[in-house]
Amino acid sequence: MTVSIVKSSQTDVQPAGVIEQDSQVENDRPWIVLVWNDPINLMSYVTMVLQKIFGYSHEKATELMLDVHHKGRAVVSSGTREHAEFDVYRLHEHGLWATMQREDSR
Amino acid sequence: MARHNKGPVTRLDNATYSLNIESSERAVLNTLFDQLRDVLMNDSNSDIARRLFPAAYHQDEQHEAEYQRLMHHELLSSRLTSLSMTADILGHDTDSDRIVISSDQLDVLMRSVNSLRLVLGTLLDVHEDEADVTLDEDDPAYGQLQLYSYLGWLLDWMVTAQTTMN
Repeated sequence: MTVSIVKSSQTDVQPAGVIEQDSQVENDRPWIVLVWNDPINLMSYVTMVLQKIFGYSHEKATELMLDVHHKGRAVVSSGTREHAEFDVYRLHEHGLWATMQREDSR
Repeated sequence: MARHNKGPVTRLDNATYSLNIESSERAVLNTLFDQLRDVLMNDSNSDIARRLFPAAYHQDEQHEAEYQRLMHHELLSSRLTSLSMTADILGHDTDSDRIVISSDQLDVLMRSVNSLRLVLGTLLDVHEDEADVTLDEDDPAYGQLQLYSYLGWLLDWMVTAQTTMN
């Protein structure tokens, strides 16, 4: 989403620099990876996968797993879009229900 | 199915595990994984397919289409490769009711077992509060529910073996 700082009638004369700056802000916003609760995956398995993929301690992975279980979802990683896509792919590969989105679109 | 006192999977050392499952039972598992392969190859538009290949961008159709175009085949290939490796592992040393596997092989087995559980759980429309329900022999889905329960038991042992030391 690009937020214009000029009136619509002035769009044609909007300085290019304004758009570039706005796009830069957009690009700098990190992406987050969410794991969602599902009734099939074992809690022990989810904990193990989070440890394996992200290198989290057992305590950290358990805490995230319990957030998923009790709150319905948990943010398990964040970073660039490419990094988030890789994390989502790895989670899908292990059968977890994961999605990604911009950090402030929760 | 036989139950070993020490469980279906035990850790031998940092790099190897003992899979204590009878050869005949491993053969049955392999027939199930064959069926899973058929599902992966032929089912692309069902609740099962959506569970095995979830959306990455659930709020952004354009990014999602691009992601699936690039990654769907990659994920399918990964799952099929895991199933081929699983067939090799379970089909190894058919004269023995105990085989030694590596950490990587255990990881492959866990992913395959979990995929099978995802398919069965989706078919059975499993809900959170049904996880510990006692199986009813009169239930038409009794066999599938029993299998689902068995796979959960097996996967839990695998996870325990990998995450705890002897």
